Amino acid sequence: MRVAVLGAGAVGSRSARQLASTPGVAALTVADPRATLVASVVASLGAIATAVSAAEIDLAGHDVVILAGPGKHHRDQAERALEAGASVVSCTDELGPTRALLALDDEARVRGRTVAVGAGFAPGLSDLLAAHAGRLFDEVHEVHVARAGTGGPSCARAHHAGLRGLALDWRDGAWVNRQGGSGRELAWFPDPVAGQDCYRASVPDALLLAPAFPGVLRATSRVAATRRDRLSAPLPMLRQPHPEGLIGAIRVEVRGRIGQSFETVVYGAVDRPGVAAGAVAAVIAVEIGSGRLTRSGAAGLAVLCPDPLPLLLELADRGIRGATFEGSG
Amino acid sequence: MAVGIMGLVAAVLRLRGTGGTPPQSGGWRELSGPDLR
Repeated sequence: MRVAVLGAGAVGSRSARQLASTPGVAALTVADPRATLVASVVASLGAIATAVSAAEIDLAGHDVVILAGPGKHHRDQAERALEAGASVVSCTDELGPTRALLALDDEARVRGRTVAVGAGFAPGLSDLLAAHAGRLFDEVHEVHVARAGTGGPSCARAHHAGLRGLALDWRDGAWVNRQGGSGRELAWFPDPVAGQDCYRASVPDALLLAPAFPGVLRATSRVAATRRDRLSAPLPMLRQPHPEGLIGAIRVEVRGRIGQSFETVVYGAVDRPGVAAGAVAAVIAVEIGSGRLTRSGAAGLAVLCPDPLPLLLELADRGIRGATFEGSG
Repeated sequence: MAVGIMGLVAAVLRLRGTGGTPPQSGGWRELSGPDLR
């Protein structure tokens, strides 16, 4: 298969590295407006990879296109990819671009292509863990996702903006907008991230998860934030974000009925968000390119991969491992 | 003036919040074996 990766930052470079060592990937095209950066990334990948200017890339002939740059470009890039006959894997973690990509559902179905939306750490790995947990239940009533940490600068900017935007929760069969930065909850992530105060934010997790669980009553998402994060959220970012964030974590809590009892299952993961997101995007791209993921249309990973076990096993082989919380909260 | 002071107090309280309760028992373990079947 031939794969194009648009974006050579924290996520795109990791995704390209994963793909370069994956059997079945015959050619890899990496594009980014930063010529020096993309050249250095491609030089480390060997002969399989080619560096192309972002303005000059021709998507024709590629089976899958991974969108790993800023989310504001993903809709246009996805349309170009679909027109070129390729499926799309978007790593966006922003609500606006996610909505725009999901609106491509009809076009993707007509073309018989897949648009995998939110193939990162959260959304992404969180969706796979939620789908895996959901298989334990006879009825899923609630799905709650929390995340801590950011990947590259685009992710850090999205986190900053998300705390001042409107959050989207699924409550009792309807979408409800809540103010970002509200709804403090202490979420307990896997060590070493451990307990973090988390808040509502303008993130797309609930939008991607709710359709995967018919009849679900509540789907919510929160992000970890410090007091400084919340205080400065209404302001522009006063300094450039770090090239890459430190260790991050996700937590997925699924509640529902198993037999006659009501149970709660909590899954999580801890990793550098950029590394985990790159691996998830690569694994999904390979799944699509190899023909194992055949569902056409635009959706999140929990919808596209109702049985995520093979993907979780593949990610575990690549060092991205989930965890489960056992105890009382 | 009074409204301003009340707003300031509300903002401080909102920023400080009340946190939450950590888990009382148990812990995390890696998904393995029966979890991945």
